[in-house]
Parts: sequence; C-alpha cells; structure tokens
Amino acid sequence: MRRTFAVFAALTLALAACGGGGTTASGGGGGGTACKVGISWNNFQQPRWAATDKPKMFEAIQAGGGTVVGDPDANLDSQRQLSDVDTLINKGAQVLVLLAQSQTAILPALQKAKDAGIPVIAYDRLIEDPYVLYITFDNVGVGKAEADFVIKKVPTGSYVLIKGDKGDPNAATFLPMGWDQAGLKDKVSSGAIKIIGPAEGTYTDAWKTEKAQANMEAIIDQANAAGQKIDAVLAENDSTALGVAAALTGKSYDPYPAVSGQDGDPANLNNVALGKQYVDVWKNSNELGKAAGQAALALCKDKDPGKVTISVDASVAPLAGNTAKDFQTPGGKTVKSIILQPTPVTAETLDKVISAGWYATKDQICKGADTTKVPACK
Amino acid sequence: MANVADAAQGQDVQVVPRPGLRGLLAQTEIDLRLFGMLAALAIILVGFNLISGGTFLRPVNMVTLGVQAAGIAIISTGMVLVIVSRNIDLSVGSLVGIVAMVYAELMANWLTSLGIGIDFPFRWAIALAIGIAVGAGFGALQGFIIAYIGVPSFIVTLGGLLSIRGLVWYLSNGAAVTGLDPTFQLFGGGAQGSIGGTLTWAVGLVGSLAVVGLLFNNRRRRRQYGFPLRPMWAEVTLAVAGSGAILGLSAFANANYWPQGLADQYAAAHGLPAGIQISTGFPDPLMILLGVTLLVTWLGTRRRFGRYVYAYGGNPDAAALAGINTRLTILKTYVLMGVLCAISAAIAVARLNAATLDVGQSYELYVIAAAVVGGTSFAGGIGTIPGAVLGAFVMQSLAYGLAYIGVDSPGQNVAAGVVLILAVGLDSWNRRRGTRTPR
Repeated sequence: MRRTFAVFAALTLALAACGGGGTTASGGGGGGTACKVGISWNNFQQPRWAATDKPKMFEAIQAGGGTVVGDPDANLDSQRQLSDVDTLINKGAQVLVLLAQSQTAILPALQKAKDAGIPVIAYDRLIEDPYVLYITFDNVGVGKAEADFVIKKVPTGSYVLIKGDKGDPNAATFLPMGWDQAGLKDKVSSGAIKIIGPAEGTYTDAWKTEKAQANMEAIIDQANAAGQKIDAVLAENDSTALGVAAALTGKSYDPYPAVSGQDGDPANLNNVALGKQYVDVWKNSNELGKAAGQAALALCKDKDPGKVTISVDASVAPLAGNTAKDFQTPGGKTVKSIILQPTPVTAETLDKVISAGWYATKDQICKGADTTKVPACK
Repeated sequence: MANVADAAQGQDVQVVPRPGLRGLLAQTEIDLRLFGMLAALAIILVGFNLISGGTFLRPVNMVTLGVQAAGIAIISTGMVLVIVSRNIDLSVGSLVGIVAMVYAELMANWLTSLGIGIDFPFRWAIALAIGIAVGAGFGALQGFIIAYIGVPSFIVTLGGLLSIRGLVWYLSNGAAVTGLDPTFQLFGGGAQGSIGGTLTWAVGLVGSLAVVGLLFNNRRRRRQYGFPLRPMWAEVTLAVAGSGAILGLSAFANANYWPQGLADQYAAAHGLPAGIQISTGFPDPLMILLGVTLLVTWLGTRRRFGRYVYAYGGNPDAAALAGINTRLTILKTYVLMGVLCAISAAIAVARLNAATLDVGQSYELYVIAAAVVGGTSFAGGIGTIPGAVLGAFVMQSLAYGLAYIGVDSPGQNVAAGVVLILAVGLDSWNRRRGTRTPR
C-alpha cells in the first residue's frame, strides 16, 4: 500500500513539474497562443452551476479567443478537488477558476498555483489569500435587499426571522449584517418592528426545508397562543422560504405575511407569482459566469488582479465600478475583488428573470398564477 | 388441547395479587414500559406548558405536534419489525426522498405527458399507487440482497441511503418540484385535510366501543382456556380509562377550529351565518398513522408473518430449523418498510406542497431513535409497535416544544440526543436490575 502510494506521489510530482514547465514555456511564447483556462467546480448538486454559470463562463472565454482545458466537478469532496486542480495545472492551465468546497482545504492547491505562477480566481466563494481575485455577488447586499423590500412593504409590525445553518458565515454574519444595514436593528430598537420568537432569529439545520417548516409551525402556534399577528417573515434563502410558505399555507394564515428569500429557485419564483413569497433576491449567475470568463482572459494577459476590468449587464454592475477593488475579508486580509449586485424580484418584476434566460422557465414560474396580478405571466 | 380442556372445567383462575402499588399495577397487566413512556410524554408536555406560561397544551398546538410526528411514527412501526429481526434500515430517509420526488414529478409533469391531464379524476390515487409501488420495489430489492445474497443489512441500506438520494437529484435535476393535485394535498392535514367534527366523534365512539369489546372478548377467551383472569375492578378501570382517553382525545381535537377567515369563506359559500366555528377534528395524517399502527400491530402480533419475525429475532437458528422461511420473512419486512416510507412521503410532500431535494433527509436517525426509545432492542426479538409510535411522539414533542419556546434546531438536536441515550440507559438499568434480583 505504502509503496504504491509513494510511486503514485512521485508520478504526480513529476507530472506536476512537467506541467509547470509547460505552462512557463507557453506563457513565454507570447500572446499569440490561446489563453488556457482551468475551472474546478465543487459540485453540480444545485442546478444553477451547470445551467447558468458554466455555459456563460465558457461563452465569455471562447468569445475572447480562450479555451477551457477542463472543468471537473469535485462532487462536494475537498480532497477530490485538490487532485482536480493538479490535473488542470498539468494540462497547462494558465488561469484557474476555483469554486472552493472548503476555504481552508483548498489552500494546498492555491500554493501549487502560486508556485507555478498561475493566477487564481476565487469564484463565488472566498479564498482568504491576497493572491486571488474574488468574484462574487454581494452577500451583505442580498440581505440588505431582502430586508429593504420587506421593510418598505411592512414598515411597522411583527417580524419572524428564519435563518439558515448556524455554521455558515452567510447565515450567521453576512445576511443579518445586510438586514441591519436596511434598518432592521434600528426599527427594532425604536419599537417600530417587534420580533416574534427568538430575538436573534431561528437557525435551520443545513438550510433544510422540512426543518424550516416545522420551526415556523411552532412559531405560528406560539404567536397565535400569545395573540400576536405575524406581519412579515425574513427568511434568509429560498429553501427556508419554501418551508415558511408551506407552514403559513398549511395553517391558512390570514392575512398572509410578506416573506423574503434569495436564489431564484423555480419553486420560489412560482411562489412569488402566486403571492406566497413577496420578494426573491435573485443572483443572476449568468452575469457572474460572464464576469469570471472575462476576468480569466484579462489575467492571462496581465497577472495583476488589481488591473482586471469586466463588463456586465447594468442591473448587476458592481457599485464600486467595473475594475477590481480591495475587499476586506472576515479573516482580516485584503483581497482584490469584483462584487456584483443582486436583483430583487417581486410579482411585478418577474419579467426580469424570465427575459434574462434564467434556468427556471416561464411555465414553471407562472404555474397557476393570476395573470391579472402578475404582468410577466400574461 | 386436552390440558386446556381440563383446565377449562375448573374454577376461574385469578392472578395471585402481590402487595403494594406495584402489585395493583401488575394485576391490571398494563405494560409497564408503555405506561412509563406515556408518563414521560405527559411530563414533557406538562413541562413545556409550565415553561410557556400555560399556552402550550392547546388543541391547535397538539394537532401541529401530532401532524409533525406522524411521518416518523409511521415508518417507525416497520422499523420495529426490522430491528426485531436483527437487521437495520438506514435507507428510509432516501426512500422517502425518492418517493416524494416521484409523487411530485408524477403530478406536476409525468402524468400530464402520459395523457392523464389535470382534470382526470383520481389523479392523486394514481400517483399514490405508483409511489407506493416504487417504495415497495426499492424495499424488495434491498430485502432480496440482504436475505438471499446475504450482504449485511447495514451495508445494503447504507448503500441505499447514498445511492437513492443521488437518484433523487437525477429525477429533479436539483430543483424543487411543485404543483401537486389539490386532493393529494389533503394528506398533509390542515383545516381541510382533517376529518371534521362529526367523523371525529364517530371515530372516538367506535374506538371506545372497541376497547370495551376487546377487553370483554379477551376475558371470555381466557376463561374458555382456563387462563388467569384480571380482577373485575382492573377490567373496569381499564375499560373506563381506555374509552375515556379516546373520547377525551376526540373532544380535544374537536376543540380545534378552522381559521376564522377560512370558516367565513366556507359559511358564505354555503349560506351559513358568518362567524361560525367549524371543528377540524383529527387531521388526516393522524388518521393514516392510526390505520398504519393498527395494521402493522395486527401483522406483527396476530399474523404468521409477525410471529416469524419475532421468532427469528429471538433465535435465528432455531427459527430456521423450525422450518420458517426466514429469508422470505426478512424480504417481507423490507417490502413493508418501502410501503411505509411511501405513505410517509405522501404526508411530507402534501405538507410542503412540493418535493425538495432534502425531503426525508436524516429520517433514518429519527425513526431508529423512535423505535429504540420505544423499547426496541438491538439484540433482536424485543420491541412493540405502539411503543415505537409513542417513542416518535416523545421525540417530536421535545423538538416541537423546544421550537415553541424559541430554541433553534441545533439546540433541538442536542436535546434529542440526550433523551435518546437517557431513555435507553434507563431501560437497560431497569432490565439489569430486574435480572439481578429475580423474585
């Protein structure tokens, strides 16, 4: 066993060395050769990656004369992702786009890329290292958009807060930070908004829909017993929002509260059309994939992430401008980043999603909807 | 037979009473384990009622709790038989997941493309039948590999847990599927998915008559075969307590009303005065659970299949030597599990009005916990179905109660784990004590 492993390791190293040499050679060969991009996905479990991010990224790379040397899917396995990245380097990738399964487990792969002088794009998930260019949607901005819309609709009243998995920094830190930026905290301290249930919100194991439903049912029962009326529910994402909507519908809750969510899942967009979810903050990952493709080509020409400029649809364009800017990570590092803006969608504005060619089809979104109330479904 | 006939000619045989409260309880022949679980459940419910300032024990809350527990409880009845026959089934969560997705896909897409449109009657029943067949099929496949090829059930069902969950993804391409048949949604309970006030009273009446009838029949047969009889006072106490509890539950469920908005709509549509109150009675998921519990208990205790299961669990070699077709028996337990998972999936899908990728996830843990808390032993041969159902209620009342007083999921998991270990620990301690000082 051990010997086989040693031989294998030696072989991998040798290959890696060859690959590194090859990259340097082609890099030195000048701008004439096509830019070779390696992409490593952590998973294709959620439909959006294969349906939107991937094709748009490929499109942008190929439009700029680049090629993709490979785009393996690590199937949620951080070990497998390391060997995927090795393979990509060996295939002569000049730029790497990494959707990291784990912020920390990916670091050995990053080191290899650094040693070989290959620029790295941290796609959608942060890698805490100043070497990378971080391209993502504004997660704090998502939270802000959720709360902005719900607070505008229900400026005073009783709110329920449904959060995601406690171990996810999005659930525990970024999204609530956005809620507070939209004024939730101030309104709670001024007494305009009252929180029903635990003041800091209710976390949901693994963002599970069934768990969110069971928790919401208990909160509704408790509010009913206390004679309180729920006016709005801030749910952090779509899978929890789906559970919240099922709980409210199952109990025929009347009048129906304003519910938030994010992701643009087909079932939730349908709920928006049916009036069971007020706002869905949609991250148009078509544009995210496009931005990453453009950035990869730019990094081929110039390895300095600070000089990367992209051009995306105005609806998602970064607030800080189209050139990479410094971003302070939660770990206290400064990383160059391009942060796109999310698009909040309500029943009146569902056409934004439909016309953008999102993977949720018009049929799915509009199933059972009242076309007089939802213009996009006519 | 001759002995029985001899004994029958003698006087009624009475249980020799032991002194003290224990002795009195023993004369009623109440299963002390079940009694203890009921007491534990009561303590949990009353405890939450105190913590919540007296709002917890309302009919509407208990109906929610019951509906939440039904899915796990239904599968746990079958898990008892699986564990009793010295096997395990880790695949139940994934089975629920795949059947849930099959239901949703059937009603949202597949049936329509097969020419069975939305207006077709009994669309929900077609979906249900296909889903149950799919569940039974997966169960039969796993059972076959376990019983006839001899791969350990832990391995087979662990493989099932992983691979069947993967199939769910392929069925749905990763997105939630919505758009169920309105009739199918009634499986999930809610105001319309309940049997209503009149039927609830009817169920209560039939149930309490059945208790009296069963006690009477039992006494008659014992006398016939010359077995010891319970003292009359114990019979009467049991009859009164049993039927009283059933009628009480019916009254309690009927004190839960439709949401007023919905009731007013109904009143307006049917020419009734506004502001009427409509009793919901027992919700559909609880009626399904009741049916499943009775059926599986009957299978487990009155049918040859059930006796074989317990015989095999007690001593596999002896069962095989006695001529029992042990392989077929094991295969059947897994088919039953598949069917139960399909029933549970119907409730979950109806409740969500959607099938998501994670429907049923980690059910296996809750179901095994319910069976074990309910007194099923991993050593095989021991376990009762009503015990497992009670176990499911104990676990769910904790989860619901904690959510009710504002403790979130991680906290609920901690409590569930502690209670699981505590329940089994207490039980082993009690059993050891029982064997050390035999009387």
